[in-house]
Amino acid sequence: MPKTKRKKQEKPNKYLAQGGFDVPFLIIVLILLTIGLVMLFSASYTYAYYNRGQSAFFFKRQLIFAIVGLFVMFVVSKIRYEYFKLLATILLPLSYLLLVVVLIIPPPPGYENFHRWITIPGFGTFQPSEVAKLGLILFLAWSIDKNYKAINSRQLSTAKFAVGFNQNKNSKIKIYSSTTYGLLYLFVIGSMCALVYLENHVSGTVLLFALGVMMLFLAGFDKKWFVIATVFVVVVSAFIILNPDKLPSHASYRINAWLDKDFDPRGVRWQTNQALYAIGSGGFFGAGLGNSKQKHLYVSEPQNDFIFSIVCEELGFVGATVIIILFMLLVWRGFVIAMRAKDRFGALLAMGLVFQVGLQAALNIAVVTDTIPNTGISLPFFSYGGTSLLMLITEMGMVLSISRYSRISKS
Amino acid sequence: MSNKPSKQLIQRAVVIMVVTCIIGFGAGFFGLINAQLINGEKYRQKAEVQQLSDKTINAERGTIYDRNMNILSQSANVWKVYINPSKIKKEEVKVDVTKGLCEILELEYDTVYKKASQSKYGYVSIKTQVENDVKLEVVEFIRANKGYNEIIGIDPDTKRYYPYMTFASTVLGFTGADDTGRSGLEYFYDETLTGVSGRIITAKNALQGDMPTKYESTYDAKQGTSLVLTIDQVIQYYLDKGLERAVTDFDASYGYGIVMDVKTGAILAMSTKPDFDPNEPYEVINPKVLESLEEIQDEEEKKKVLSDARYAQWRNRTISDTYEPGSVFKVVTAAAAIEENLVSDDEMFNCAGNIKIADRTYHCHKRDGHGTENFTQALMNSCNPVFVTVGQRLGVEKFFKYFEAFGFAETTGVDLPAEAAPAANVTYHTANKMGIVELSSSSFGQSFQVSPIQMINAVSAIGNGGKLMRPYIVSSMLDENKNTISVTSPKVKRQVISEKTASKVSEMMEAVATSGTAKNAYVAGYRVAGKTGTSQKLTSRGKYIASFSGFAPTNDPQIAILIVVDEPSSGVYTGGAVAAPVAAEVLEETLKYLNIEPQYTPEELARLDVKTPKLIGRTVPDAVKELKAKGFTVKTIGNGETVLNQTPAYNQVLPKDGLVVLYTDDKKETTKTKVPVLTGMSLAEVNRNAVAAGVNIKISGFTSGSDIVSYRQSVAPDTEVEMGTMVTISFKSNAGVSDLA
Repeated sequence: MPKTKRKKQEKPNKYLAQGGFDVPFLIIVLILLTIGLVMLFSASYTYAYYNRGQSAFFFKRQLIFAIVGLFVMFVVSKIRYEYFKLLATILLPLSYLLLVVVLIIPPPPGYENFHRWITIPGFGTFQPSEVAKLGLILFLAWSIDKNYKAINSRQLSTAKFAVGFNQNKNSKIKIYSSTTYGLLYLFVIGSMCALVYLENHVSGTVLLFALGVMMLFLAGFDKKWFVIATVFVVVVSAFIILNPDKLPSHASYRINAWLDKDFDPRGVRWQTNQALYAIGSGGFFGAGLGNSKQKHLYVSEPQNDFIFSIVCEELGFVGATVIIILFMLLVWRGFVIAMRAKDRFGALLAMGLVFQVGLQAALNIAVVTDTIPNTGISLPFFSYGGTSLLMLITEMGMVLSISRYSRISKS
Repeated sequence: MSNKPSKQLIQRAVVIMVVTCIIGFGAGFFGLINAQLINGEKYRQKAEVQQLSDKTINAERGTIYDRNMNILSQSANVWKVYINPSKIKKEEVKVDVTKGLCEILELEYDTVYKKASQSKYGYVSIKTQVENDVKLEVVEFIRANKGYNEIIGIDPDTKRYYPYMTFASTVLGFTGADDTGRSGLEYFYDETLTGVSGRIITAKNALQGDMPTKYESTYDAKQGTSLVLTIDQVIQYYLDKGLERAVTDFDASYGYGIVMDVKTGAILAMSTKPDFDPNEPYEVINPKVLESLEEIQDEEEKKKVLSDARYAQWRNRTISDTYEPGSVFKVVTAAAAIEENLVSDDEMFNCAGNIKIADRTYHCHKRDGHGTENFTQALMNSCNPVFVTVGQRLGVEKFFKYFEAFGFAETTGVDLPAEAAPAANVTYHTANKMGIVELSSSSFGQSFQVSPIQMINAVSAIGNGGKLMRPYIVSSMLDENKNTISVTSPKVKRQVISEKTASKVSEMMEAVATSGTAKNAYVAGYRVAGKTGTSQKLTSRGKYIASFSGFAPTNDPQIAILIVVDEPSSGVYTGGAVAAPVAAEVLEETLKYLNIEPQYTPEELARLDVKTPKLIGRTVPDAVKELKAKGFTVKTIGNGETVLNQTPAYNQVLPKDGLVVLYTDDKKETTKTKVPVLTGMSLAEVNRNAVAAGVNIKISGFTSGSDIVSYRQSVAPDTEVEMGTMVTISFKSNAGVSDLA
């Protein structure tokens, strides 16, 4: 019925997002995804041939997830992002559940000390910490949006334990709403970090912590806390670097290997050294696509965390710089979408999602270039991992959904 | 209340974006610049080093040929077994690999286990020089076990083979496990033989697999240069055989000798017995040493003795040892005196059995003296007083002039390692330090040391018309395609004495070898010139060195020979009795082998060998008639009319009065006879016994005198042979061969 059709076009749809999405953001995502897939194929084929018997093993799987992911991305971008708030309330408890489950079930063979993965038979593995990141971002975006005013005003807390203090005239302590929310958020962030840390997953812990702190910063809590937090992080980092032995053995080895460039060259230091050799071999213009020598089993698992070293070798300093710039553009465009978002929830969610991608990329590049200790962090759009790619693209779909309502010029 | 992002939110978002980009990506970008641009070259080189597999292709070591291109030493491809311990993940695999390899390669379990435990390494050699059949067993072992192909590997390796075992081993030397020469020619010409290793540089992945992008540059190996020796395999065999017999017969500690081409200085044969097998150079084969080794209980001492024995057996004594030449040296004194016109042909000397010089009395070996004799007779008798007298006439200056001229104060320069270097006033007296006493003893070859190669070279110079040659052993060098790349040309060092003097001395030496002390070196049909020597060892009393040196044929010398028998201890020890017969055997076989035309004396002609005619199929009277006409003795067996078989067969060489047996019946069996004892007899007795037993004899050695005695027969007594079989009998003389000073 044409009549109804017209009506629907005029009246905002209750479920579906309206308006065009931000094309530059999509283009950046598609460029990164394409380069990522090509580089994955180039980096992984020797390793795949030797370990899986077929050169395209990793590429094929990644490609399937990418195609499915793109489909999911467009679907998600059509959903009015207000509905993601519903997801926030579901995803947070689910994240906790998964983070606990992963600690209980036996880890995959060969990774006995790392409770990071849950295997879904016939599908593959996924990391609950990935779900937890999205869960945390969604929860904080939703909750901060809802309580933004309470956080940003000197309003007394109405929480049960606080009411007692606040109603007692003699009490010198007044508990403000901002304090209660702050403590709540810190508890959520802290408990998640603790669970992920128990997985023996330092990089996941660091990412979750950084995401949480950023969201709290955006929430408008007093700046002095963040100064204190920064000082705290610096002190802890310095302490860890000076006393690596206080950490679990797998992490302390990696810090030792970062501090001492001759540490266990055929063991812990092997991967980093090989990555550096690859980067060095690339030079300014690179060896050309497909011409990396280091990917021939020198860089172990070149399709995973250290794929950037192969990118550097094949595409050179020029290519690597272009990719860093692409990630920065993604962050920039994401923040533009966020800042011009229709509402606070959209802004917070978009910032959280884009920051997560940006931070992870920056940390990965720092790890591969031996600027920080090897933490086992993957490069978004590039590193092999079907489920995490699917989630990443889905999240980009969420950003696109938000962009439909942003006050930016649409082409 | 507005739901829009507040100003504060946007401000803080900008802060986060800037911080992320500057600190986060900034750190990564800084790391990138550092790793790719600042330290990039360093990392690139390190990457290249590990990616490029630089494989050495060993250049095949050159071959050593004798002068007729028989292979004396050759490298062959063998294999090297290695393991990659980093691929061994499980203890049971390690144990199984160790067990398997130990069994196949015959190694100690603990040693291999230790190697297999070096888990940080990717290449640990287990055994080198593995033969092909053993290698195949290893391949089978790898195939039978899954995953072992990543653990056990096989690389090419080379091994040196000496097909004739102990043959000329002290001359050839041997190579070590690293394919480099350790002694002999292998050592002396190591660089020439080695060639230039090639390299293959290929890009390899971390598992040493091939990369898809081909990068390969090959530098071809240049095969080592091959040597063609002057050594003649056949002559070397004759010399080896003679020396081996001498060592056994006279229970000597060593026998060594050289056969040399008089005209060029080329060494045709050079041998030290007992020696070693260069295929297994560390195995001691000297039975005497082995015996004494068994008696030693103390392990430490045993080790030391074993080590000494190894060095001893690798020693080329013809080059590295020195000895007092004794009477052989008299030819040098004689040559000097004749050259200086200090002795005339008709001059007569008188030997009273001793001569007094300063406060010393020199005895002649014949205590009651040789009486009146000319110079040739003095040499034949090896008369010391005469040579002391002649030495006095020469005086220190002239004596030393000839001593030097004949090359005794310098190395010969032969292309072999470890030639004994003469040391002034240690191994010999220089003119300014030589008193009358030293001069006297030196005149008859005592109180100084020479090396065997020096001695034969000096004697050879006399045979060569006075021209002293530089001895050499490599006649030419060949590249890998057997093209000659260099030829050694004979080098005359100097004219030591005139041709006239040389031929005079040669004639004197021929007299020595015909009826003097060296008559046991006589070879029927050939004119041999030579001189014997016997010297007492200074180090141990009662031990002697018996030697003979000479050349043949006298009128046109072709080959020179030196035989030294070190410490003969079976009772006889003089050069004439011990060394000369060996020389005779070697000379006879060698001269015949070299097709040097024999020159018979009438007496020899009478006994000259005749070839048997073809008789099979002819009638018996016809055959008998022909045989009789040729001087043969005939024995007919059976009553048939035609000859069905004959012994010896057609075209065999028999003495003129030899026995030919004719078979006329078609009975298959032939008539057998037992070889009688034919040693320790005179020529007449040997003849008698041989005819009685129905065997033919062939005579070898010195047979001209009345005092000759047979000392060896080629077929042992009591051996059952066909009637008419030929037995070679060696004769020598035991009288008048003493020359002990």
